[in-house]
Amino acid sequence: MPDVGTDRAAGRWGEDSSLALRAVEVGYGERMVLQGLDLEVPRGRFTAVIGPNGCGKSTMLRTVARTLRPRAGEVLLDGRPLGSWRSREIARRIALLPQDPVVPEGITVRALVARGRHPHRSALRPRGPGDDEAISRALHATEVDDLAELPVAGLSGGQRQRVWIAMILAQDTEYVLLDEPTSFLDAAHQIDVLRLCQEMRAEGRTVLAVLHDLDQAARTADHLVVMRGGRIVASGAPGEVLDEELVRDVFSLRSRIIVDPVHGTPMVIPLSRDRGASA
Amino acid sequence: MRSRLVLVVLLAAILVAALATLAAGRLGVGPADLLDAARGQASTRTLFVLERLRGPRLLVAVGVGAAFGIAGSLFQTVTRNPLGSPDVIGLGAGAGAGMAMTTLLAPGSVPAPVGAVLGAGAAIALVHLSTGLGFASPARVIITGIGVSAMALALTQYVVAVALRDASSQLAGYLVGSLNSRGPEHVATIALALLLLCPLVALLAHDLRQMDLGDQLADALGARAVRTRSLAILLAVLLSAAAVSVSGPISFVALAAPHIARRVLAAPGPHLTASALVGALMMVLADLLVQQEGPLENLPVGVITAAVGGVYLGYLLIHAWRRADA
Amino acid sequence: MSDAARRRLHPAAALVAAAGLLVITALASILWGARPAGLVDTVLALGGHGEEHLQQVLAARRPRTLLGAAVGAALAASGVVVQGLTRNPLGEPGLLGITAGASASVVTATAVLGLAGAAGTVAAALPGALAAAILVLVLGRPARSDSVVPLILAGAVVTAVLGAYVQAMILTRPDVFDSYRFWAVGSLAGASFSTAATVAPVLLAGLLIAVVLTPGLNTLALGDEVAVSLGAPVRMIRIGGVLAATLLAAGATAAAGPIAFVGLAVPHLVRALVGADHRIQLPVSLLLGAALLLAADVLARVVARPEELMVGVVTAFVGAPFLLLAVRRGRVVA
Repeated sequence: MPDVGTDRAAGRWGEDSSLALRAVEVGYGERMVLQGLDLEVPRGRFTAVIGPNGCGKSTMLRTVARTLRPRAGEVLLDGRPLGSWRSREIARRIALLPQDPVVPEGITVRALVARGRHPHRSALRPRGPGDDEAISRALHATEVDDLAELPVAGLSGGQRQRVWIAMILAQDTEYVLLDEPTSFLDAAHQIDVLRLCQEMRAEGRTVLAVLHDLDQAARTADHLVVMRGGRIVASGAPGEVLDEELVRDVFSLRSRIIVDPVHGTPMVIPLSRDRGASA
Repeated sequence: MRSRLVLVVLLAAILVAALATLAAGRLGVGPADLLDAARGQASTRTLFVLERLRGPRLLVAVGVGAAFGIAGSLFQTVTRNPLGSPDVIGLGAGAGAGMAMTTLLAPGSVPAPVGAVLGAGAAIALVHLSTGLGFASPARVIITGIGVSAMALALTQYVVAVALRDASSQLAGYLVGSLNSRGPEHVATIALALLLLCPLVALLAHDLRQMDLGDQLADALGARAVRTRSLAILLAVLLSAAAVSVSGPISFVALAAPHIARRVLAAPGPHLTASALVGALMMVLADLLVQQEGPLENLPVGVITAAVGGVYLGYLLIHAWRRADA
Repeated sequence: MSDAARRRLHPAAALVAAAGLLVITALASILWGARPAGLVDTVLALGGHGEEHLQQVLAARRPRTLLGAAVGAALAASGVVVQGLTRNPLGEPGLLGITAGASASVVTATAVLGLAGAAGTVAAALPGALAAAILVLVLGRPARSDSVVPLILAGAVVTAVLGAYVQAMILTRPDVFDSYRFWAVGSLAGASFSTAATVAPVLLAGLLIAVVLTPGLNTLALGDEVAVSLGAPVRMIRIGGVLAATLLAAGATAAAGPIAFVGLAVPHLVRALVGADHRIQLPVSLLLGAALLLAADVLARVVARPEELMVGVVTAFVGAPFLLLAVRRGRVVA
């Protein structure tokens, strides 16, 4: 298992790619949100980032995608700091779907998915040969082909999220970052999105997703990163990382952890709020 | 393709309106006279009307309309607000104040376009400083722009009413735009501005198109939201200042032209070319109106555009209000 | 008690302080002006002795001071009501086109009906102010966010349209210009006691409605749904509020022309001093508004001696940076 992901990724994107954070500190104004973060993003895997509200999960994702600049430390893409890369080059390697993306007024599904091709084009070359193919593939993978000419604004929440993921797929990057892709979706659509994450991983992509549901994360991800107070407190396979002590420390939750009878992954049964832990 | 058809139709409409402007009224120059002129056999009367009376005026109308249309589209795209237009948030007022101040402080030695650019530049610099975030927050840009606009307007009114009492009618032109007595030098100014700035706008258009996805996603796609916004505002300032220096502040072309372009093309996006054409068409039509005999004769063009633009805007907002309630 | 609450003034202290400020500025308004004169000469002239010309100048300053105080108080009160109605800290009659509406309808009435005289002006100002207020409040309803932007933009747009319309009228009808000089920027020059007397009923009516509404505005601040569930007559409060704000702003504009930013700055300052309870905000704003407008008028008279600036220019110059500062400090949700 450990090497399959890296091999798949290397097969598609080459041997030398890597994405890592070193001693990254990020803040807004006077408030420091991320404090000295070190992370090596596992290639070819689906990594879920979990943690309580306000622990800095979204901030970390945005820092990796270079939409936020760290005060200290560096994000290294292929060993080189992000600051030394051009924006379009980064966008061809790393895709980010933010938590609440804005739907431009009146845009159709196909046009929105086509936006994902932006980093592959330029002012002087507005349309390239690979574009149509990438768009069709993305529409097909997310099963929104027959919605292609409809306006996005009229779609249901689940359909819309699939369209956004199609846009990310059209961007065709090795690294895919998703910020809470399953929030506000009903259970069936959440499963759809998680399945898409696993398919992306099967294609050799590296997926890093912030998830709010511990069980989902444990069930679907290869690797868990647990954050609290702007730091990473645990990292590893779900079975290794999730135990009752961690859940109590990080989420202030007393729980019982059992093995999911169907999937064989850890399942967290909440018992009560833990008042002893610091807020 | 729909967009190409629309552009051709707009171009044709401008041509028709232009011919009508030239041909209307007692001093009209009809198509037959124009053909003669093209063959080099124009009568002195035709030449006079074309070169002195209506020709420069028409060219200025087209140029200024295009400049305002593009500036409005740039601004509305980066503020993500259909009302975030340079004339509403201070560029027009700033340019007018700049011209009034240079006339007051350095009459004759500083040309009007320079004063306009300085004024518009000062206004936008003040906005940049006052938001506390530069241009990163579109909403703050809008609110501070309105404040700066109020200050600029007060300054202009002071200059016009108190300091330059004798020349006040001429300077009223700093408060409301007009195409009366525009000459070849005005045509040259606006033509030069368009020639220099339009290529730059075209280069920016690529990244500009992603701005409607929000800053985060635009950045993630490599469109560098803050940089794109700053450049777009800079180009919009230069275009507006050039236009205002030639015709005075003309409201609502920059606001309405991009709206109409979006309507007609029925697709999201900045639609820069279409906005330019719609702006030019609006100006030519407004100019056509004020050159007719009747109650509107010789009114400053800015008044017509404000009236029509205002009504159109009201309709737009009511439409948006109804949709939000639905 | 939170830090902010601890720093607030007791309402009585605030009232006394504001009243004191008003007295000082009123004195300043009488004693200083475009025509420089020594203190002794001035006091003599006030008492009816000394230079005749100076006596005349001082005689003119008295109604000017009275009107300035009334106009400042009215605009501040109008701002308090508008901000309470719209729950928008940037609401004010100037920014929301009410003063522009008043000017526009005065200009229209003068052109069409040939009105003259203060009474006609006041009557003519009301419909325009009301129409503009309703238009902006309707157009500026934000679609889903708490943003203050839609309302402000709607106000800016309506102001711009009406401003252009007024320009057009002035340029084509010089007779209109002659009978209504305040179409562009407000000024207290040439104020008379009769002007004050004419607008007084309108201002008092608006003030009365505002006072009655203050508890209702407090409830409205909790949000429409909560207010309804608390049994407040939300629709009546809204209608009354629009009426009060319009009467106050229209009266002020009819008397002195469009003066912006007083209704914006004063409630902000007052809220920082005494909190958001409208029952205290309103009286303190009245006093502080009067004081500030008088201060602005003194500045207008003194800064460009022997010429006079228009007080509307001074308030725009001093008030607009206030708006910019409020945005910069992040005090408004944008």
